[in-house]
Amino acid sequence: MSTLTIKNLHVNVEGKQILRGVNLEINSGEVVALLGPNGHGKSTLLNVIMGHPKYEVTEGSILFDGHDVLSLSTDERAKLGMFLAFQSPIEVPGVSNSDFLRAAVNAGKEKPISTYNFYKLLDNAVKEAKIPFDYATRNLNEGFSGGEKKRNEMLQMLLLQPKLAMLDEIDSGLDVDAIQVVSDIINKEKNNERSFLVISHYARLFDLINPTRAIVMVNGRVVLDGGREIIKRIDTEGYEFIRSELGIEIAKEDTPRPASNSIGVCAVKEAIK
Amino acid sequence: MKTNIIDFSSDFNKFLLLKDNEEQSYILVNPQGDFSFELGNNSHLKLAIINKGDNEALIKGSVGSNSELEVYYADFAEGNNHIKTDIDLNGENSFLNWHLASLSKNNGKKIYEVSVSHNALGSKSQINNYGVCKDESKLNFSGIVHIHNGAHGSVAHQTAKIIIFDDNTDAIAKPILKIDDNDIEASHASSVGKISDDELFYLTSRGLSGEKARELITFGYLKPIIKGFDNEEIAEELIKEVEGGF
Repeated sequence: MSTLTIKNLHVNVEGKQILRGVNLEINSGEVVALLGPNGHGKSTLLNVIMGHPKYEVTEGSILFDGHDVLSLSTDERAKLGMFLAFQSPIEVPGVSNSDFLRAAVNAGKEKPISTYNFYKLLDNAVKEAKIPFDYATRNLNEGFSGGEKKRNEMLQMLLLQPKLAMLDEIDSGLDVDAIQVVSDIINKEKNNERSFLVISHYARLFDLINPTRAIVMVNGRVVLDGGREIIKRIDTEGYEFIRSELGIEIAKEDTPRPASNSIGVCAVKEAIK
Repeated sequence: MKTNIIDFSSDFNKFLLLKDNEEQSYILVNPQGDFSFELGNNSHLKLAIINKGDNEALIKGSVGSNSELEVYYADFAEGNNHIKTDIDLNGENSFLNWHLASLSKNNGKKIYEVSVSHNALGSKSQINNYGVCKDESKLNFSGIVHIHNGAHGSVAHQTAKIIIFDDNTDAIAKPILKIDDNDIEASHASSVGKISDDELFYLTSRGLSGEKARELITFGYLKPIIKGFDNEEIAEELIKEVEGGF
């Protein structure tokens, strides 16, 4: 039994408070839909759980399987069985997808997997994710279309077999067929030992994967926690009822998302000495 | 095609002439002094070049119609370098296809000036310079791509990227385009910076240690050049040099 327990989590990004006391518990076997308006902390929550260095936890705790997650590095969290499928997977030029996948599969193992067994594993996962084998030999996400990147995230999930799979808008940028493939994978990978925390803005994905529970984040807190009927209601009515029934004013998203400075994004001025 | 090895260790200057419709492949070891070449029409010259440290060389020559000069330059050795090119794309649809991967470390100073002149219709240049700069070393990518008036339909793309590892490095990527014709296609991109938090976060979120993640990204800059070397012994040596450099 794996349990994720988040208590009173407060998080700042670049001095601005994004999470204002999140409380949440997720048990093995649960498939949790995470909803909420843009800019209210959904992606932040997932990134904080995984340990992105940009986010500063000012208060609160995260426990996973009894481990104090906030004291662990990102790779240690991954080794405990936590996984995040990125909303915008990063392109890493020159690094072959298969070298990366093999390093990832080996990271959690004491003895490295043999080349033969790795390719057998990869071959099965590639078939399940319905992606051409040549993805694996291309450079990591480089030149991939949006849909290809998302399927590559699912491929990584299949290879790593996490206990907690967090999927951040895995369905954005996917066509109908690809959404079917992704939801088939999720349905097949659901089991009593694994839990899912899934962000999406569309009821279509949730219709296909049947979440066991739905939570709504507004103003950096979990304001609603219930059954999947919440998804249907938000899909038809929007978030207005949060205000009218729960009396919570929904703050407007006021600041643009910060742009990151990475290689390839013209960081020249800043970096040249 | 057989790949011949030219070693500059004992003898500095070299000249190579390719007649029309000729195809040749060379590995240049430890280039010093002048390396000149002349390519006729419909010919193809492949050069894989490996530095051994403290290299000072000028690579110059001309490329004829429908001919290609293909270069893979691997520079992972310790020391100081100054490498210049002066390549004339004189024939219609001539093509320079240039790839460089350089690792500078300790107190090394490495300077690359990759310059090319587009003198004919439809001439094409693709220049990719990748570098990794460590310790207190200096790494400088510059050079001028000049498209002359009348070279209609020319295409020029330059990329210069350097990863810096330490605060006291001196890394500069400065691709320069000079364009005197108005019917052409050209682009340049450059970046100098440390490995970003986002890249590291992505790789470590899959269980790779920070060290392993940095290593993979760095190897991704340097290792692809090795594909250009059609000699197992030299390729193995290069892999060892990259992997041993960290």
